[in-house]
Amino acid sequence: MEPTAIDHLDAAKSSITLSLDAGLYPADVVYGAAYVFIDRAYVLLDRAGTATKPSGRLLVHLRGKEALDEAGLEALAGEFGNELLSQALRRKVVKQNHKLIEDITAQAIAGAAGGILPTDFLQGEDDGMDFLDDPLGIAVPWEDKFQKADKTDEPSEN
Amino acid sequence: MTDTIIRLHRGLYMQQAVKQAATDFADFATFQIGRDGDHYTVTITDIDPDTDGDVAAEFCNFALIHTAARKRKKTA
Repeated sequence: MEPTAIDHLDAAKSSITLSLDAGLYPADVVYGAAYVFIDRAYVLLDRAGTATKPSGRLLVHLRGKEALDEAGLEALAGEFGNELLSQALRRKVVKQNHKLIEDITAQAIAGAAGGILPTDFLQGEDDGMDFLDDPLGIAVPWEDKFQKADKTDEPSEN
Repeated sequence: MTDTIIRLHRGLYMQQAVKQAATDFADFATFQIGRDGDHYTVTITDIDPDTDGDVAAEFCNFALIHTAARKRKKTA
């Protein structure tokens, strides 16, 4: 049987059932794909067979939130299949690069936490200034600074 | 009014997620969760007639997403 196959299609109910090879598509891959589709379809998962006689296949029931004809349902199934592949690949890449991702994240967090900063402060030169000193006149109010200039700009009443 | 019965596979849906979804939709219907072999059975009654959309189907979507979120949390 195919890895992904249309098990059942009912255009009158806008629903389609896909049968997937559970060995090829682990449950979390199917969850990921289902998540992408929940805004436009109702998704229900099930397993084919019984506990005593498992068939090794997952069933995905999709029902469009909007009415879909046969072509629309087949397109939906195709898109779901593509999304399954995308999720499977994504999972594989994350698994392969897990160590690298962890290392980069750890470095980024360490940098953002500013672990080196306190040492920099200690090494900095003491300029001997008090925190109340204001050599650039930043604390002087604007009115005091520009009072005279404003008065000269005023038009004379004559 | 007829009851709606939903069967959710126990290997694919987490019980806590199903309960969480039932809590999410408690304002729109009454949910009773049971077990039948490999499945959870969810009996939905008293669906609010003024509610837009399909409460049972939306409930299934929520149960699925809550399950996925919980499983992801577990593996993280």
